[in-house]
Amino acid sequence: METSFALTGKGYVIVAADTTAARSIVKMKVDEDKIKELSSHLLMAYSGEPGDTVQFAEYVERNIRLYQIRNLYPLRPSAAASWVRRSLAESLRSRNSYTVSLLLGGYDLATHTPNLYWIDYLGTSVEVPFAAHGYGSYFALSLLDRYHDPEASLEEGLATLKRCIDEVSKRLVVSPGKYKVKIVDKDGVREVEL
Amino acid sequence: MNTFVQRFAGSSASKELLAGNASITEDEDFSDAAWGSEAGFGSLARGVPSFMVPSVPDPASFLRLHTDDHADPSCRIKIQHGTTTLAFRFQGGVIVAVDSRATAGSYVASGTVKKVIEINPYLLGTMAGGAADCQYWETYLGMHCRLHELRNRERISVSAASKYLSNLVYSYKGMGLSMGTMICGWDKTGPAVFYVDSDGTRLKGDLFSVGSGSTFAYGVLDQGYRWDLSDEEAQELGRRSIYAAGHRDAFSGNTCNLYHVKENGWEFIGNYDITTLHYDGPGNVAGSPGHGYGYDLRVEGHSSANPPPAAAPVVAAQA
Amino acid sequence: MSIMEYNGGSVIAMVGKDCVAIASDLRLGNQALSISSNFQKIFPVTDRIYLGLPGLATDVTTLRERFRYRVNMYTIKEEREIEPETFAHLVSSTLYEHRFGQYFIEPVIAGLSKTPSGGVKPFIAATDIIGCLNFAKDFVVAGTASSKLFGVAEGLWEPDLEPEDLFETISQSLLNAVDRDAFSGWGAIVHVITKDKVTTRTLKGRMD
Repeated sequence: METSFALTGKGYVIVAADTTAARSIVKMKVDEDKIKELSSHLLMAYSGEPGDTVQFAEYVERNIRLYQIRNLYPLRPSAAASWVRRSLAESLRSRNSYTVSLLLGGYDLATHTPNLYWIDYLGTSVEVPFAAHGYGSYFALSLLDRYHDPEASLEEGLATLKRCIDEVSKRLVVSPGKYKVKIVDKDGVREVEL
Repeated sequence: MNTFVQRFAGSSASKELLAGNASITEDEDFSDAAWGSEAGFGSLARGVPSFMVPSVPDPASFLRLHTDDHADPSCRIKIQHGTTTLAFRFQGGVIVAVDSRATAGSYVASGTVKKVIEINPYLLGTMAGGAADCQYWETYLGMHCRLHELRNRERISVSAASKYLSNLVYSYKGMGLSMGTMICGWDKTGPAVFYVDSDGTRLKGDLFSVGSGSTFAYGVLDQGYRWDLSDEEAQELGRRSIYAAGHRDAFSGNTCNLYHVKENGWEFIGNYDITTLHYDGPGNVAGSPGHGYGYDLRVEGHSSANPPPAAAPVVAAQA
Repeated sequence: MSIMEYNGGSVIAMVGKDCVAIASDLRLGNQALSISSNFQKIFPVTDRIYLGLPGLATDVTTLRERFRYRVNMYTIKEEREIEPETFAHLVSSTLYEHRFGQYFIEPVIAGLSKTPSGGVKPFIAATDIIGCLNFAKDFVVAGTASSKLFGVAEGLWEPDLEPEDLFETISQSLLNAVDRDAFSGWGAIVHVITKDKVTTRTLKGRMD
C-alpha cells in the first residue's frame, strides 16, 4: 500500500512518500525514507518491488553523481528523467527487470522552473504539474485537479498536500500512518515536518 | 460456494427456484403468468417472482462461469461495469449525482444511461453494476413501497425500504446479481442515505460514492463536504464530484444527472454534459462558479517558474 | 487487459490534394486512470515526414528516440534528407528486429515525397506490431479506437481534399471515433503537412 505524492508550485517541488515498510501483514518499519536526494536540486521518491526499489534508486543516485563528477555540472531534471526512463525501459526487456515506480522532482537552475516527472515501472515518463503513485493516486488526483495551483506559495502547497494525505487516511483501507515530505527549490533540498 | 448449504438445507433461494423450475417445465411453454396482467410484476399473490434457473446441480457456479468479470472478460453475459454514482445528505436534504456512461470493455456503448431510478416520488435509487439487476429490483422495490403505504396508511421509511431490498438481494447471494446501489429519501427521521449491495451489505451513512470512479469522486466530495452546506453549494459539490470522476476515470463520463431530495420529495435539478462542465461550467444555475471546472482552464497562464527579479541597473558614479 | 490498451491512444493519417494530415489524441492513461492530457504521440522526423506512435507509452518514447538516432545517421551518411518510402521501410525493419520481444506500437507514417518534376506526392503508411507495411491510398488508422476510426473515416473521406477540408475531415473523424472509446481522448492534435509548411492545431475534445 505504498503511496507517494508530488506537486509543483511557485519555484518549488514538494515530494512526499509514506514511511511504512511492510511485509505481508506486518509493518516492519514505520520510519523508512523512500525519497532519495539524487543531486543538490533533484529528488526521487520510489515505490514498488522490495529490493528492486533501493537497488535501482542507489544505481540512479550514483550514476547521477558520476555525471556530475565527470562533467563538473549537474544533470538538469529533464535530462535526468530521460536517463532514468531509459534505464527502466532497457531493464524491462532484460532478464531481470526492475519493478520500480518513481516521482522525480527537480529545480532547473537554468530556466528557474520546477519540473516533476511521473515515471512508471515500464519506463513511461511524462512531465506533470502534480502526480501520485499507488492506491493513493485514485483519491489524490481528482482532489489535486480541484485544488492545485501552480503559482501557490510553499505554505499553500503544503496545505494542499495535507488535504491529499488526509483524504487517503480517511478512505484507503490500509492507509499509511506517516509521510516523509521533502522540498526542492532554488536553494536545494530540505525536509519538512507537516 | 455454499454448496453444502444448498444441498442439505431445507429451504434456500436456489432450492425454491429449482423446485419452481420443475413446475414450470411440466406445463406448456407459456404459463398463465406470461399473459395479460399476470405478466411481469402482475400478480404478487405468488410472492417473489420465480425465475428460470439452469437445471444443473449448482446454478450459482454455472452462472458465475458465464458472466463476464475480471477473471474472464470474454464471457457471454456482459454486465455493464464502469460508473460513478454518489449521494450525500446535508441539512437541506439529499443530493444524488450520477454519470451516464456505459462501457462494454473499452467501447463506450452509451452516453445517455439513466442511472438514477425514481422508485417513487420521494425515494431515489442509484444504479451501479448490472443495469438490468438494478432497474428490475428497484422498480420491484417501488411496488412494495406502495403496498406498504396501502397496508400501513403511512409512507415507508428509507430504512425499511433499503432493508427490504437488502434482504431480497441477500436471498440471491452467490447467484451472480451485481448491484451497488444507494437508496435515498426523506422520511420521519430526516434525510437518509443507505448503501445496499448484492453481497448483502447495507450501510447507513452521510456520504457514499459507488463505482469505478468513486475514488475520484470521494477525493473532491470529502474535501468539500459539510453538514451545513446551502442547497446551491451542495448541488455544486455533487456536480463537481461527478465531473472529477468523469474526467479522470476512463469508464465514467458523458453527462451528469443531478437530483435533490427534499422534504416533500425529489426534484430533478439538471443534466450537465461533462465536457461542457470542463470548458464552460454548469451555466446559469444556482451555485455556478461562472467558469469551467477544468484544471487546464483554471491554471491557464499560471507558471511555476520563479526567475529572480531583474537587478536594478547600477548607476555609474559621476566623477 | 491487453498490453496495447494499457496506456490507450489512437492515431489517424489521411491523404489530400498535395497534402497529408496526421492526428492523434493526447491521453496517457494507466488502464482506467488518466494521467496526462499532454502526451504527444506524433513526432516530426523531417520537415515533411511525421510519425505517429500509438500503443504502450514506454515504447513510444523508446522508438521515438531510436528513430531519431537512425534518421540522423542516415542523414549524416547519405548527406540528404530521408524520403517517406525509405523511412517507412526503416520503421518496418526496426520493428522486425524485435520480432520476438516486440515493441507494442503500431506506427503510422505521413509525409510528402518529392517527385522528379519537383512537385510533391502525398504518402501515408502504417505497420502492424512487427513491421508489416500497409501503403494505403486514402487513410490509415491505429490504436485503441482503430475500429471506430475506420468507420468514421470511411464515411467522411473523399479523394482530393484541399488542406483546410482535409483538416476538417480528419478532425471530425478523430473526435467522433475517440468519443466512443474509453481509452482515447482527453484532447487531440492535428498536423497538416503541405509543400510549404506544416500547420499544427490542438483541438478541444471531450475531456472525459
